[in-house]
Amino acid sequence: MSTKTPSKADILRPIGTFSKKYLAVYSIAALGLIAFLIAWAYQLQKGLIVTGLGDWGTGGGATWGLYIGAFIWWVGVAHGGIILSASVRLLGMDRYMPVARIAEMTTIGGLSAAGFYILVHMGRPDRMVTSVLGHFHITVNNSPLVWDVTVITAYFVLSATYLGLTIRYDVNRLRDDLPDKFEPIYKIITFGYSEKEDEIIQRMVWWLAAAVIIMAPLLLHGGVIPWLFSLLPAMPAWTGGIQGPMFLSIALMSAISGVMIISYTFRRVYNWEHIITDDIFRGLLLWLGFFTLLFLWFQLQSVLNGVFLGPLNTAHAAEGKMAHPAYQVAMTMIFLTLVYIFLQAIRPALFSKTRALIASCAILAGTLTEKILFVVEGFFHPTFDIYSATPGTYFPSLIEILSLVGTVSLVALLFLNLAKLVPVVELHAIEHLTGGHDHEHGHEETTKTETEPEVKA
Amino acid sequence: MSTDDESFHPLGQEWEDELETMLDDTEYDSDLGMEMAKDAMRVTKGELSEADFHEKYHEDVMDEFGVDDRPTEEAYEEAKKNAGGFAEMLKSFDGDGDESRRDVMKKMGVGAAAVGLGAWGTAEGGQPNVADESGGHSSEAHREGDTQWGMAIDLERCDGCLSCVVACGEENNLDQGVNWMYVLDYEDAGADTSRNRLVRPCQHCTDAPCEKVCPTTARHTRDKDGLVLTDYDVCIGCRYCQVACPYGVNYFQWDEPDVSTEEIAEANDGEGDMMVDDRGRWVDSRSPRGTMSKCTMCPSRQDGFSGEEKVGTSACEDACPPDAIQFGNMRDENSDPQRYIENPSRGRALRDLGDKETTAPSLNAIEEDIADADADLASVLEASEDLDEETLRTMKAIEIVTEDFGEGDADSVDYEVHISDIFDLLEEHGLDLDSQEVLVELDLADEPDEGEEFDGADEGDAQDAIDDYDGRPSSSFKLLEDVGTNPNVVYFGNEPGPNAEQVEGPSAYADISYERADGSEPNLVDNRKEEVLDEGTVGDAGVSL
Ligand code: SF4
Ligand code: SF4
Repeated sequence: MSTKTPSKADILRPIGTFSKKYLAVYSIAALGLIAFLIAWAYQLQKGLIVTGLGDWGTGGGATWGLYIGAFIWWVGVAHGGIILSASVRLLGMDRYMPVARIAEMTTIGGLSAAGFYILVHMGRPDRMVTSVLGHFHITVNNSPLVWDVTVITAYFVLSATYLGLTIRYDVNRLRDDLPDKFEPIYKIITFGYSEKEDEIIQRMVWWLAAAVIIMAPLLLHGGVIPWLFSLLPAMPAWTGGIQGPMFLSIALMSAISGVMIISYTFRRVYNWEHIITDDIFRGLLLWLGFFTLLFLWFQLQSVLNGVFLGPLNTAHAAEGKMAHPAYQVAMTMIFLTLVYIFLQAIRPALFSKTRALIASCAILAGTLTEKILFVVEGFFHPTFDIYSATPGTYFPSLIEILSLVGTVSLVALLFLNLAKLVPVVELHAIEHLTGGHDHEHGHEETTKTETEPEVKA
Repeated sequence: MSTDDESFHPLGQEWEDELETMLDDTEYDSDLGMEMAKDAMRVTKGELSEADFHEKYHEDVMDEFGVDDRPTEEAYEEAKKNAGGFAEMLKSFDGDGDESRRDVMKKMGVGAAAVGLGAWGTAEGGQPNVADESGGHSSEAHREGDTQWGMAIDLERCDGCLSCVVACGEENNLDQGVNWMYVLDYEDAGADTSRNRLVRPCQHCTDAPCEKVCPTTARHTRDKDGLVLTDYDVCIGCRYCQVACPYGVNYFQWDEPDVSTEEIAEANDGEGDMMVDDRGRWVDSRSPRGTMSKCTMCPSRQDGFSGEEKVGTSACEDACPPDAIQFGNMRDENSDPQRYIENPSRGRALRDLGDKETTAPSLNAIEEDIADADADLASVLEASEDLDEETLRTMKAIEIVTEDFGEGDADSVDYEVHISDIFDLLEEHGLDLDSQEVLVELDLADEPDEGEEFDGADEGDAQDAIDDYDGRPSSSFKLLEDVGTNPNVVYFGNEPGPNAEQVEGPSAYADISYERADGSEPNLVDNRKEEVLDEGTVGDAGVSL
């Protein structure tokens, strides 16, 4: 463990510096996004025929594919991110405070990518406002897709408020050290700020966190998102109450992996060994293992409910799923990661940050594959399985694959921009790590538990 | 809406100006129209109740239109149950009954504009779109009303010729592989698999999952007749309806359709354009790019745009050579499908013996044949080539089991009329078909016991005769009824089981072509993905997940 003391200067470093490497990464991300925007423009011009999708039934295709799979995957990353950060605030998991804001930013990024996918997926995105909002009061009573859009929007507002409130605190205190060129933005962020509000904001943030934690299983990734599929009667590969917990576990796995990768990057680039410590990675890895175990358990539940003794439609769907090579690869990958996580928990010497990074990537790849397969499998094994063209064929077209590059670039760009604007590690975390005494404003901390000595593993 | 725009309508000032010009062109008061339009927008936003809206304008409307049949506050609650909403109110502006539907539609268009409901003018058609929201989206079960179009399909009559698939493609100018109507043979467990065939239109479900999940109300049930339709001007192409439909009957328009709207309109320059229905909504014919389509059950026909005689028919029904499809009102016990459902073997025999275009005995031939014959049964049957004992027995049996024989407006009544013409001819010739002698000889009545009176024909014997003639269907069913969709198509024949799998049928899709409004004559396509869509895929890898 490093002996350096975390300081304000540390978290300000990304803002003050500007390197060639940064520029290179920025350019690559921008190119990635632009490449997809061009591809999307082509899709808008030609129609969705440029994708590998088709009509299920006599048509021999899959109605939804990578776009929807990636959509729910990104929503999962986002939901998991905010749950992570809310737990830090609500359950007093102070140890993870340095990555809490990264988790929140991941949420904003994930939701942006997901929102983008909704548009990319539609045949007539230009009608989004007139057709969807115009009939909202009717459709919200019936359509899970409308519930989705509602919840995701509500959620975006919630997360943005949450993030905004904590940033407001930081910007006000660090204002003198922040670059003047962004002055107008900082002005907006800190508009009407007075120190008296700190306590109220603390409480608001707490309540927002409470709302997130309570909503997570009921409405977010454990409810509304899986309901998009699981409520439909005629696609046995999707039905069943298990989808709620399943989706939630995937969300948390993906988010923890995502946060680990991003944290690792920041730590390396800005020498933050003493802020985002090894300890944080070990802890996150254990949580990842826990949710991975849950995930595998739910998978077992869902496939066993079919292969054992029907009913026939469920049996066909379950057999089809298990026999799929991509499913087998994804599950093996996830299982091996789980084995590694357990082994390193027993023998700490097996831990290394690179291995943690590899584990994270494996989990992300595994969950993304699972999501896309999950969507497609539904169409391949419907209850009305009479057509010779069913199961049909589907493979993502180049444009669909490019959308992954585009959205990853989008999220990367978000981080690259935000990193130059506001600290990605919150001031509270630094105050916390140093015992809460090294900041000049020295406002009362009595409402917080920060002054207690930190417990480290 | 931009901030400097003072307009009340979501489409802004420009649209309003257009509306005002439109109103100026009518004999009605433009200012009143605009004023009402403004308040109507408030109603749609919930700032003003429909009843208040009515109260406010009652007098003006009386002055201007001379009549205000719109429901009053008390009547309003009642009217709402019938889910008419604005469209109904508007309809009541139209006073005289002898206007053509087209005129009513036009007036409805103006009326709708007047109350500002034409929120989405169609880009291609330019018709204002009556957003009949309250009435258009009745996804809750059990719509009221006395019309529900549907079908009875006799799978044992279907010979797999695909004429219905062709007719549908021609009527609706469908792209290749967009098989709104689809016919398939399948293999299944079971004793008699020789007649495993399924004819699969959209089931126009009363509890349609496709409608329930639609995020826009584009997929909706038409209030007046229960048709499940897609409003092509509202659909955003999310494809959730296709995902939720258990039957796989939806076809998305992945690219620009082959036949343009101009070409369709040109080919249909009668009353309607085969695209806009009588509510002014674009729901018929192939869908435009980026939206969903499926079998519509021919709303243009049902609205009378293809002529009165086409109301209550569908293109596939008309085209089916063996008359396997009975289209009609499922809520009318005298409609073709309901009569068929009530007594399917009668339906079969009736068609074979009553359809003078195809299989029925010809009136003229009989007349010629029997001109010189004696008036007894044996001589008549011997003289006539078309009539044998079995035919005549079955014809008479049909009459015996049918209430109100030859009356009503179902299509099959024509068959009854033909049979009754033949009977008249025989009676004129001197053969009394209701006499004891003839009925007994035809096995349609028992000889009375000694001392008893002859009590006429025996319905049981008559039904047996009918059943013997074309056979009874092995079973009747609705597809996937347990899913809870409440389909409006009733089948006769073998029900496909859970292991049923499609096999090649008697006619191959690729061997049959259909003609479209642009003059093209493409082949039918079965697997749309492989034969049509893959060509457009960017970087088609040729492999599959
Ligand atoms: S069959 Fe039923 S669920 Fe499917 S499209 Fe038709 S109405 Fe909708
Ligand atoms: S594709 Fe169109 S009709 Fe179907 S659910 Fe989506 S918006 Fe509704």
